[in-house]
Amino acid sequence: MSFTVLAIIVAAALILITGFYCLVKSRNMIRMIIAIEIAMKAVTLLLVFAGKVSGNMDLVQTFIITMIVMEVVVAVVAAGIAVSVFRHNDSLDIDKLKKLNG
Amino acid sequence: MTQVIFVILLLLMVIAAVAAVMVRNLIKSAICLAAVSVFLTIILFLLGAPLAGLFELSVCAGLITVVFVSAISLTTPYKKEEASELAKKRLARFIQLPFILALVAIVFGVMLAFSGMNIGIPYATPSTFSTFKEVFWNMRQADILGQIIIVLAGVFAVVVLFKERDEK
Repeated sequence: MSFTVLAIIVAAALILITGFYCLVKSRNMIRMIIAIEIAMKAVTLLLVFAGKVSGNMDLVQTFIITMIVMEVVVAVVAAGIAVSVFRHNDSLDIDKLKKLNG
Repeated sequence: MTQVIFVILLLLMVIAAVAAVMVRNLIKSAICLAAVSVFLTIILFLLGAPLAGLFELSVCAGLITVVFVSAISLTTPYKKEEASELAKKRLARFIQLPFILALVAIVFGVMLAFSGMNIGIPYATPSTFSTFKEVFWNMRQADILGQIIIVLAGVFAVVVLFKERDEK
């Protein structure tokens, strides 16, 4: 296995772990959205690597563009939800969201 | 030479991602996320996906950063006394991350290097605009329809979220 291939797979794994770790440990809603975005960047890196290995870069580019569109919509809607939650609760801390407690 | 550039770019990408998670200031965190996008764009260009790189740079590094900065300025996350108290807790929560990443890099790297898997990067002709256009418009029409529906759903969600409510 060439060194470049190894570096890409390990880097993608590290970025994915960073995103998931932040998603689990963070309490701030905006930082959680940033964590989702970071994990998606790792997936984009793996997708383009798969395209390069399979030699079918055109198809992979269409997938990446679809993914970027989804990424933007997720980020915008999640940021809107965060702002809306802040207006109602005066805090972005997810531990303080107790209004929906049963 | 290309290998060295590649490894440096991947390293910078990982460092920017870890910085985006560990930096205390949210604005700096959003800027680090944009930096991750920029490094990813260069990698996409080098791997022969220029159109995806263009989208990544303009949308992920540009638009998403603007969305994050406006969301952060619309909210004031913590008050001063709360922030100093939380800073200590944050450090305690995230201090393990670099060690976990180093451990994973070593273990995963050694495992892959000695696994005997044979993945090579073949020399493929880079994607050109005409072949991409053919694939995108002729083969993946369902994707285009899906993108339109997703964008419309996003617009609808934003309209609902920011609707002015009648004060009772």
